[in-house]
Amino acid sequence: MAERRSAVILVAGALALLVYALAFASPYGLRVLTVAGVYALAAFGFQIVFGLGGALSLAQGAFFGVGAYVTGILGSRYGFGFEATFPLSMLVPLLLALPVGLAVLRLESHYFALATLGIAQVLHLLAVNLPELTGGSNGLAGVPAAVLFGRAVQRGLPMAGLVWGLVALGGLIGWRLARGRLGRSLAMLRDDPLAAATLGLDVGRLRLAAFGISALFAGAAGALAVHTQRVVSPEVLEFPVMVSILTIAIVGGRGRMAGAVLGAVLLLHLPEWFRFLERGYLVVYGVALLLTVVLAPDGLTGLLDRIAARLFGRRPRASAVAMEPPRPPNPPDGLAVDDLRKSFGGVRAVDGVSLDLRPGGITGLIGPNGSGKSTVINLLSGLERPDGGRVRLGGREVTGLRADRLARAGLARSFQAAVLPIGVGVLEAVAAARLAVDPDAATAEAHARWALDRLGVGDLAGQGCDGLPAALRRRVELARSLVRRPAVLLLDEPAAGLTDGEKAELAVLLRELAEEGVAILLVEHDMGFLLPLAGRVLCLDRGRVIYDGPAGGVRRDPAVAAAYLGRAVPA
Amino acid sequence: MRRALPLLIGLLAVSSCLSSAARADDTLSFPVLVPLTGFLSLEGTSQRNGAVLALKQTPAGIAIASEVVDTGTSPEAAVTALERAAGRGTVGAVAASMLGTQMLAMLPLAGELKLPLVTVSGTASITEQGNPWVFRFFPGDAVTKAAHARYVVEELGKRQPAVIYQTTAYGQSGKAHLDAAFEALGVTPVFEEGVDPAAKDLLPVLTKALAAKPDVLVLHLHSGPTALLLRQAASSGVTLPIVAGSAMHQPSTAALLEPAELKGVCAETAASPISGGTPEVKAFTDAYRAAFGKEPDAFALGQYDGMTMVLEAVKAGARSPDAIRKALSAETFQGLAMTYKSDGKGNMAHSAVIVCYDGASRVPVLVKRYDDPTLAAK
Repeated sequence: MAERRSAVILVAGALALLVYALAFASPYGLRVLTVAGVYALAAFGFQIVFGLGGALSLAQGAFFGVGAYVTGILGSRYGFGFEATFPLSMLVPLLLALPVGLAVLRLESHYFALATLGIAQVLHLLAVNLPELTGGSNGLAGVPAAVLFGRAVQRGLPMAGLVWGLVALGGLIGWRLARGRLGRSLAMLRDDPLAAATLGLDVGRLRLAAFGISALFAGAAGALAVHTQRVVSPEVLEFPVMVSILTIAIVGGRGRMAGAVLGAVLLLHLPEWFRFLERGYLVVYGVALLLTVVLAPDGLTGLLDRIAARLFGRRPRASAVAMEPPRPPNPPDGLAVDDLRKSFGGVRAVDGVSLDLRPGGITGLIGPNGSGKSTVINLLSGLERPDGGRVRLGGREVTGLRADRLARAGLARSFQAAVLPIGVGVLEAVAAARLAVDPDAATAEAHARWALDRLGVGDLAGQGCDGLPAALRRRVELARSLVRRPAVLLLDEPAAGLTDGEKAELAVLLRELAEEGVAILLVEHDMGFLLPLAGRVLCLDRGRVIYDGPAGGVRRDPAVAAAYLGRAVPA
Repeated sequence: MRRALPLLIGLLAVSSCLSSAARADDTLSFPVLVPLTGFLSLEGTSQRNGAVLALKQTPAGIAIASEVVDTGTSPEAAVTALERAAGRGTVGAVAASMLGTQMLAMLPLAGELKLPLVTVSGTASITEQGNPWVFRFFPGDAVTKAAHARYVVEELGKRQPAVIYQTTAYGQSGKAHLDAAFEALGVTPVFEEGVDPAAKDLLPVLTKALAAKPDVLVLHLHSGPTALLLRQAASSGVTLPIVAGSAMHQPSTAALLEPAELKGVCAETAASPISGGTPEVKAFTDAYRAAFGKEPDAFALGQYDGMTMVLEAVKAGARSPDAIRKALSAETFQGLAMTYKSDGKGNMAHSAVIVCYDGASRVPVLVKRYDDPTLAAK
């Protein structure tokens, strides 16, 4: 994997930085390095919420400022020591992030960004207008140095050591989070929130967790910023802090902890290199940033990956030993749908649909384009909320339940166009379907390997999803459904684009799944594929069921023929 | 890692040899660390030019070096700039930012590094930190705001001022001192409101102020907001007298307005070199115009006076930062704007003037001078 190869370059870079700090750096160089470390720590959190989770939180700068003010106020006004101010500087932003997150995390991307920007504005106003507490616009001077083991951490090497020690610790925590269940779940969420929900991932809870973690990192960075400067003023809550963090994440490489470090070191040093230009340094700084983004669109870490791949060649992705995932202890006994209804404006997309998916049975759902088939699947899988009707999963009322809850209850689905994440390996993509249930990412990958093997595509495990032919994409997507060991499987045109041979293989697999007790709903246009498989077929037209009976009878039904051909076929 | 460790040790050994070969030089350095970008860029550029002009006129026989560094508007950038400057040769004194929050951030480091900071910042608290390394060559808010309030009450006879100030350290400090000065004069403002320096429309705050039925508008805003409010007041037909803060006296602020929009507007400041004065002030103004193609203001003159006093100390034999600090602390200096003498806290300037515009020109006329107005108010 290029990432691992580029780790060699990163370790060499870290060593060079260490040598520079210990032997070459002037007090000024150490200060710039210290400030870079502070921003790297703040950017770690942003990599989690934005880089991995895809939520453009513009509150990261505000959480940074809150952490700074907690340390500033408690340290300078009340004489609290580092051992108290540092954890509190992390805790207070977290306590702020949780209620704020509950309120704003379900907003769409740009509204979410605006709402989080508003938080920073409110906090800035409070900092300016509560001078008794915050020192107002002047801020608070005389913040004491951090004291560790009875000794004050002085500026220069000791402070740089403290900051970069915490950067190393924070980076390790962030890296483990990013590679673990949380990071992978967030990446899944970022790439396709709907697909993530249908794989059982709780979108709201994941985003809240990422938001909270980002606040912890930002608070820690804010506290260290104050110990570096020894004053705190409203500038720590201003937008330029947020812009710096955002730029660091983008330039360094989105979602990568090493990217946060590289971005921070570069972004903080770049203007210093051109200071001799007086105000002209801003132009050079801007051009340099632009060049970096153009030459390294995936960030500096992406560039390193490419260089590493060129130097050392590409290594296949690591695979896993297959392990059959356990079946859920009490799988639901089929799915019963009664009088399901859904309208979009004045259009009745689904109008009184009832069906019964029994364990071991394959039910076909057909109908002309726009008849409501996909809407039915969306309603049953929780992506749409029905206007009326009842849905019971194994006798349990699940009408209107969220997609992730339905998925965890034993329901799986596929999409009309196979939805696979970009830039992700096949094994990882399938393992994502187990993240909500397995204890760790390694177990999820072992289960994913089992599903790929079962579908006859185990050799794809080491490949990336990008560029897979349509048939293989469908198999990988089916593996994502299969690996969850669902009780009810909803498949939306799984045979589209497959050759006859591939269809035959798919049919065998579906029969096997049915024999294992899975209830299958199969939406399909290809009657040659569907009718031999399905024991029962429903035909929809304009949202209503116009045929519900054995598969053999559907071809002769005049209403079905009229729906497809636009006129009644003579008997 | 096994291979990296010897490499690390080797590099450390080489570096220790290199670092011992430090450069020996008796040139004194006078870095200029001022905000050249951001909302204070106009004032910061004046400050820069004043310092640079003074340093160009270094007395013969003294070797000096100087570098101008933009501190932007963040305290962090200012502290980094100070650390950078301290590492480049022997620093005699620093022409330091006029932005209060930057000064407050630089002060602890200046104390640690033992470097005199020479500034024109008006923020009162910078000389209230007990730090012996700060010297302010611009009257602090205690002086200027006392003059400001006294002119409003004693000369204009107004007793219902509406105060509009900036929500920055500069604004809040000035507002606090205006409150104290008005209170000492037995006047209570009928309206007070802070505005953000980034505000693009000041008509709402102006409308609210006028609704409070004031008899005078008292402004304490930065350059851009001052010009914006005056333009909006003129276009709204406001006829109340307006007495603004020191930003208004700046030629760069006046250049943003038509002369007619300035009619009846006055401002407090330390000095107004373009308004004329002694031959020395005229010579300074001419040299400034020739060097920078701009009109000088009180910030430029204050910083010029400050750095000139520093160079005079060097000329008199001060060759270390501490010797310069002692000279600044103890000596009296007759500058172009006024006579400077430390009050023991680093406040060197104790005079303020009021200038007014006649509506026909952008050059104001000096109408009132206050020497130590705070004491007089008491």
